[in-house]
Amino acid sequence: MKKKSSILKWILIGAVACLLLAFPAFAKSSYQVHIVNNIGIWLLLSLGLNIAMGYGGQFNLALGALWGVGAYTAALLQTRLGVPFWINLPLGIIAAATMAALVGLPSFKVRSHYLAIVTIGLGEVINLFLVNQDELTGGALGINRIKPPSLFGFPIDTNERFYYLILIMVILGYLIGRQIVGHRIGRAFRALRDDFQAARAMGVNTGFYQILAFAISGAYAGAAGVLFAHWNSYISPDIFEFKSALIVLTMIMIGGMGSLPGSVVGTVLLLVLNEYLRVFERWQLVGYGVAIIVVVLFLPGGVVELVRRFGSLRQRWSAGLTKEKSNVEEERNVP
Amino acid sequence: MDITSIFIQTIIGGIGIGSLYALVALGYSMTFRSMGLVNFAQGSIYMVGTYFGIIWYRGMVLGLHVPYAAAFFIGLLCNALLGILLERIFRPLAKLDLMLMLLATIGLSFILDNLFTIIFGAEGFAVDSPLPSTPWIIYGIRVLPQMALLIGVSALLMIGNHLFLSKTKLGMAMRASAVDFEIARTMGIATNRMNALALSIGCMMSAAAGILAAPIVYVAPSMGAAVGLKGFAAAVLGGLGSIPGAIAGGLAFGVFEAISAGFISSQWTKAIAFIVMVVVLMVKPSGIVGEITIEKV
Repeated sequence: MKKKSSILKWILIGAVACLLLAFPAFAKSSYQVHIVNNIGIWLLLSLGLNIAMGYGGQFNLALGALWGVGAYTAALLQTRLGVPFWINLPLGIIAAATMAALVGLPSFKVRSHYLAIVTIGLGEVINLFLVNQDELTGGALGINRIKPPSLFGFPIDTNERFYYLILIMVILGYLIGRQIVGHRIGRAFRALRDDFQAARAMGVNTGFYQILAFAISGAYAGAAGVLFAHWNSYISPDIFEFKSALIVLTMIMIGGMGSLPGSVVGTVLLLVLNEYLRVFERWQLVGYGVAIIVVVLFLPGGVVELVRRFGSLRQRWSAGLTKEKSNVEEERNVP
Repeated sequence: MDITSIFIQTIIGGIGIGSLYALVALGYSMTFRSMGLVNFAQGSIYMVGTYFGIIWYRGMVLGLHVPYAAAFFIGLLCNALLGILLERIFRPLAKLDLMLMLLATIGLSFILDNLFTIIFGAEGFAVDSPLPSTPWIIYGIRVLPQMALLIGVSALLMIGNHLFLSKTKLGMAMRASAVDFEIARTMGIATNRMNALALSIGCMMSAAAGILAAPIVYVAPSMGAAVGLKGFAAAVLGGLGSIPGAIAGGLAFGVFEAISAGFISSQWTKAIAFIVMVVVLMVKPSGIVGEITIEKV
């Protein structure tokens, strides 16, 4: 029984993998691939925030600005010094993670809504730096003509080619995230989130793990930023702000806080809906607002919670069935 | 013009903008102390209140040109009703944890911002001041009449609010229900109604801020975001949930912003203000006034 379900699981994973690999082949237009690439970049952001916030309980609302740190690191290194993507990627990740650790420093002293406003404030400061330091960052106009990456002379310059790069990054990000939350760090994060004092009493190095939670979300944001800069070839400070952090927050809230599949579900759902509901323009945003309130009030665990509830219902139902069956058998055995 | 009068003028400008922040911060604090809820939609409520008043003043409703004072009271009344409605929406939220509250109120601000953009369009408009636009000059210090009105009326509102909370029976009932919800209820105080009243007052303060500042700032559906953030920062700066704290925090934030804009760099105003807020929070997390208020467990 157990073996069968694990075989089924692998078949399912295989099918999804084939689907993902073949996607550019059956995509109707390059624009569709573009949308999926965009989903991939937001996925990295939402995975990172979910690890820091859903597991570690650390509000990191500077996420939008940290995304910008990654993007600007890559853009500046590329346009000024001609550094290729493959070196920019680790550098961008390191830069954003370091910045995130700095943003996280106040978490030693303040918690909950105070930490929220501190990270919002620091994020705005970073954003202002991007806008105001115009000799360095190009100011509000941003930076353009960022060269696409190339692999052994093979340029990754179309949406279709970039798709595979983003796909690999997202899968890597997801697997690394699973390792993080499934092991010692993840346990420490959950202890931190659920009861700070108890975690401390049990010998969890709370300060270290708080900063680590921030740094991890920063690293994911950094990777997303580097990818975004090289893919879009143009960046400007207006998206690297508080509003982007809010969108990511909404994604993981709707998908499921404290669940990596929740991040995936929330991000895909929100961005795909975004395309279909575009005709409604502003009303669509009003609808988002209503959806957020409905989710918060009636489904605080997000869509993943709904699936879980449904799953346990079905399990109970099938368990009930087998029980009935065995009862019948027992009755038969009675002479 | 010598440096002293420039300095005084800057301070007055800071107090004007600070009054605006203080009134919005009061909205945050009134909601927080009564319901233990951080209402991130306060900035949108400020925007909504401004529109509720200014559309009458500018004759955008049926072409009626209502006098400024009357428009002011209409705006306050409409926002008071909004506050009562909000209490009903927030009641189930107050039991949830912070992250969910934060999100739900952000959802609400999404709704308000976009509804008003649909109704009034994304571009805003400038509002003519009911007072003359030439500044008064007192000992070489130039003061805009509208700025004086903003400071004066804000001060009156804050004093009135303080007197109401400390001297009247209703105000005391409100404070009792803010300190201990359960006990206040057993003492026969209609706590839900008190919360509704607290939210109404908060919304009215925000509307007042918006309508008074409308001739100085620009009116647009997106005006709430920045003021909401700064108002919250001001409330936190003074000590979230504390009424004198909100006022002190708002004024401090405004004055600081004005000084850094006037004497350091106008580009970095916002950044400097936020950095100061972060530093204050690190040194004294309970805020500069540091009144002890309820902590939601």
